[in-house]
Amino acid sequence: MTTTAPTRRTDAPRTPQGKLAKFFDDRLTAARWTRATLNKLYPDHWSFMMGEIALYSFIVLLLTGTYLSFFFDPSMTEVVYPKNGTYVPMHGVTMSAAYKSTLDITFDVRGGLVVRQIHHWSALMFLAAMLVHMCRVFFTGAFRKPRELNWLIGLSLIGLGIIEGFVGYSLPDDLLSGTGLRIADAIMLSIPVIGTWTSFLIFGGPFPGNIIIGRFYIAHVLLIPAIIAVLIAAHIGLVVIQKHSEFPRRGHTEKTVGGERFMPYYMTKATAFFFIVFGVCAALGGLAQINPVWLFGPYTPSQVSSGSQPDWYMMFLDGSTRLFPSWEIRLWHHTVPPLFWPTVVLPGILFTLAGAFPFIEAKMTNDREKHHLLQRPRDVPVRTGLGCMALTFYLVLFLSGGNDIIAKAFNISLNAMTWGGRIALLILPPLAYLFAYRVCLGLQRHDREVLEHGVETGIIKLLPTGEYIEVHQPLGPTDEHGHGVLPYAGAPVPKRMNQLGASTPLRHIRGFFYPVKEKPEIQAALDELEAREQAEVESAEGPKQLTD
Amino acid sequence: MKDDDDIDVEREFGFEPAVSATGAAAAPSREKPRPRKRRGRLRRRLGATAVLSLALVSMGSLYAAFAASPSANDTGLSKTDIQAGRQLYQVSCITCHGANLDGIVGQGPSLIGVGGAAVYFQVSTGRMPATGQGAENPRKEAKFDEQQTEQLAAYVESVGGGPSVPQGSLRGPDDAIAEGGVLYRLNCASCHGVTGKGAPLSAGKVAPSLNDATDRQMVTAMLSGPEQMPVFSNNQLTPDQKRAIVAYIQTLKASKDPGGAGIDRIGPVSEAIVAWVGGVGAIMIAILWIGARNR
Amino acid sequence: MSDHRPEEGPTADELRQMTSEEAMIASAKAAGVHVIHRRDRFPIRGTRAEKRAERGVALAFAVSGLAGVAFIVYFIVGHWRWHLPGTSQDFQYYTPILGGTLAIMLIFLGIGMVLWVKWLMPEEEVVQDRHDGPSNDEDNLMTEATLVVGFEDTGLPRRGLILRSLMFAGGAVATVPLIALVGGMLKKPGSQLLHTLYRRNSKLFPNSDGMVPIVDGLWRPVSPDDMEPGAIATVFPGVRQKTAWGTDGLTDAASPTLLIRLRPGQTVKPRAGQAGWGWPSESPEYIAFSKICTHAGCPASLYEQQTGRLLCPCHQSQFQVLEDAKPVFGPATRSLPKLPITVREGDDGRLYFYAVSDFHEAIGPGFWERR
Repeated sequence: MTTTAPTRRTDAPRTPQGKLAKFFDDRLTAARWTRATLNKLYPDHWSFMMGEIALYSFIVLLLTGTYLSFFFDPSMTEVVYPKNGTYVPMHGVTMSAAYKSTLDITFDVRGGLVVRQIHHWSALMFLAAMLVHMCRVFFTGAFRKPRELNWLIGLSLIGLGIIEGFVGYSLPDDLLSGTGLRIADAIMLSIPVIGTWTSFLIFGGPFPGNIIIGRFYIAHVLLIPAIIAVLIAAHIGLVVIQKHSEFPRRGHTEKTVGGERFMPYYMTKATAFFFIVFGVCAALGGLAQINPVWLFGPYTPSQVSSGSQPDWYMMFLDGSTRLFPSWEIRLWHHTVPPLFWPTVVLPGILFTLAGAFPFIEAKMTNDREKHHLLQRPRDVPVRTGLGCMALTFYLVLFLSGGNDIIAKAFNISLNAMTWGGRIALLILPPLAYLFAYRVCLGLQRHDREVLEHGVETGIIKLLPTGEYIEVHQPLGPTDEHGHGVLPYAGAPVPKRMNQLGASTPLRHIRGFFYPVKEKPEIQAALDELEAREQAEVESAEGPKQLTD
Repeated sequence: MKDDDDIDVEREFGFEPAVSATGAAAAPSREKPRPRKRRGRLRRRLGATAVLSLALVSMGSLYAAFAASPSANDTGLSKTDIQAGRQLYQVSCITCHGANLDGIVGQGPSLIGVGGAAVYFQVSTGRMPATGQGAENPRKEAKFDEQQTEQLAAYVESVGGGPSVPQGSLRGPDDAIAEGGVLYRLNCASCHGVTGKGAPLSAGKVAPSLNDATDRQMVTAMLSGPEQMPVFSNNQLTPDQKRAIVAYIQTLKASKDPGGAGIDRIGPVSEAIVAWVGGVGAIMIAILWIGARNR
Repeated sequence: MSDHRPEEGPTADELRQMTSEEAMIASAKAAGVHVIHRRDRFPIRGTRAEKRAERGVALAFAVSGLAGVAFIVYFIVGHWRWHLPGTSQDFQYYTPILGGTLAIMLIFLGIGMVLWVKWLMPEEEVVQDRHDGPSNDEDNLMTEATLVVGFEDTGLPRRGLILRSLMFAGGAVATVPLIALVGGMLKKPGSQLLHTLYRRNSKLFPNSDGMVPIVDGLWRPVSPDDMEPGAIATVFPGVRQKTAWGTDGLTDAASPTLLIRLRPGQTVKPRAGQAGWGWPSESPEYIAFSKICTHAGCPASLYEQQTGRLLCPCHQSQFQVLEDAKPVFGPATRSLPKLPITVREGDDGRLYFYAVSDFHEAIGPGFWERR
């Protein structure tokens, strides 16, 4: 190894970077670790950046949240908005100190509103990114062994993110979030046996009490973010240890992983992407008004606004609550309220199923192998179908969470929206499964057709027999019947002539549209690499057979 | 707009809808900063009425010219107004509400006791004359101008009594805005929403948006309780409280959003759309670009 | 992570002979990273193409910096104070301009950096060995032995008493903080969920036989004359004294009540045992229900005065007031509790509403202990 060279003592570094490295290495003996870290490969495929959006919006949340904490007063003490306050429509109105300080951030802190809005928008982005990232991982089978643990960590992050978001949304103590808080109290009350105790424990007495904002505040700024940060560290740590998964292509195998080196490529791109995510959040925060609590008014239990919805990530629960029929269980002088099923049991089932899915799938397919190569959704029609089914289920619930707004916007009866949602919830998911399954099979067949017959060239040829045929360009070597002998390798198959070789803009989107042909020098290097791997596999298998 | 056979009074006399006599279209968008005084708008509207009335004179309707400014007369309208209202009634309303205003079963309800306030609200918001039978009569362009509406109201009130059309300024002073906000959130926001965007009620009925509502339409609606809306009498909400509510809503509607585009001020649904389409969409484009191979 | 299998790396002397790039490739190789293709994008330095690319990147950074300057300038000079409509509404541009310039600053910085990688940094094609097979037998055996002996050294397999007592102590250590936290937060749900401030209170209201006066949101007593047919009012128990948890009649979450005056011709079909709970009791024209939805606790208050339907805006439960607020649509399962009301003559000779008694059932959303 390089570090064990005997003449090392006498060799002072020549470059400034070397001198800096030497300074640290003398104290930390970090050269080897640093070398490995700087050379580590990170994914460069676009679909791998969705998790990064979540990470970066979390950082934006931490930055803006810290700013807001300098001004926010998490207290439910009753105050009166001063008669000479900036926002005239609140003059003399009784409100909590939390609500007043939110108004002050909005109207009396220069630039406070834009930061508050960036914070709220990036919260929406954080959860959206996690959901999109989860879909990518699910549909490509990236959750399979050895990554089940990371799937579970990711799922916990989504759950915690939802709670963190809801708790933060409750802090301003405005009419909208207060209504949400009251529903949250009703959800706690609905839990059999321990419901009332839970509610009194959290609220410190009957709803709303006077300590809930303080408790939510510490949960929002310390407890939950700390857990989230630890889990994110574990999530990324596991990716570093296990290395990322990737779509199959030459050089991307179960034994080798492609990507770009940390320094300088990934480092620069990741920093750039952080700025872009921050920038998009800033654009939203500046250009689109979010959660205008000054329009909603302070919370009092006697008031409500029509069209009350939670933020998007809670909307599916609101939808399930709207759709659930009026079923109540009354047993031995006890009640299980209808609210219990759609708000406690349903998310419990959804999260349990999602968490168990990698293990269920491994069991059902009897698959104990490690998988580093991703699958195209079409190649696993059952999983893809199940995923579409789950997404459809989620989407119906999500839309039902805003069904009053939809009813108003499109002049549909509210009752019809509720019934439509109930029926759609039962009918659409199985249909989505069947549809996705069929589409997958069709795409698979098409891939294999092209592999066998080649790409349609659009050139029509008149045979001597008078027959017209379309000329097909084979993708590789053919057998004596002119049929391609390339096997399907789980990678995209070019379907049109302009996806072959020549440059098209789409082709640059790697993994989904990349070219089949590599440059000659790359081709040679890859051949060499594969030969080496093959040899390795053989040498590894050799002795094993002997011991058997 | 929906009645093809309606005479489009405003267009015919070359008025922009923005200064329409009913003020219907003028309310929501106030582009230019207007003078501090609240009465200015009302005066402008009255001015428009006067011009309109002059136009009517030129058409041979001599009578209208004498009552050019209805609010000049706070005690109510004259006998000639009632007479004119009666004529309008017999042309446009009689088929549904009957010759004696007692309604026709299956056509229209009795108007005995509804008062001028109800007539003013229904006619000035274009809900009456109705075009068809539905769960609700939607707001549309008014068929009659302010003058005619007041005359109709006077006629109906003269026959059956009931709450009359309030006169004078119906908007409370600036220091009543906050009180109006509290009252609005307690009494009105449950249906019309905290930002006045309206909401669906059961089975196709709606609480309409207040976007286009004028001061007087709001007050007459509270007084008369049109369709499904509960009645708020002057004992329940004093005239001052009503004016405060009007002041709050009109302030809300006229204030510009300090936080960028209001995205319709309907809360989390539009925010969800913007977050997914705008936010996630923009970042997806960025991702495709960053992840694109540049070889 | 890298040191699974040391590659045959070059010696220090060999490294000294290499160019930096060769040494870098060797370093990567030592980490299992194979640089299979690497090419300078501009092998000839200083071409016009290279300069153009460089200028492009620099332009993005310059835009970013200018946007930052714009942000600072507008932050300082921009009009940001909210004003009533009718006066300057300039403040509406403050947040968008701040957000916009901030976004341009950040996004162009990002764009510049991406372009820098894409246009100027050498193109590279690299592949890294995964090395994620199971650890080799030697490692596994040694680890296993360490674990086994380590466990034996503690003596726990033989000394059951220690194990059991330790588990006991460990359980206690784990439970104590939990108990301390939960125990500190725990509040026994008392009768708060079953009663409201409408409960008769002879101490506070000796003149009305303990009946609680019904007031509106401004503490004004509510009189039947106040309401026209088809009117609703949100009313409260007129209890100004604070409860143990700091609420009064107006602010208590269980208080909000909807007082409804029916239209002529509308009658209420009462639930069993609740006939005559309105006023006048023989054929009630005024009736009062808890405003708190029995489903999830939102104020159910979208009242349709002609059909008598009451809609909750949160989950669209609908109640039929004319059938004593029976749930007729949506997820709610229970009728809104009805408040028995009556009137008494006040000092001014007018009649005012009073609650005859508390609600006869728990208001608001369902819970386990509810019958």
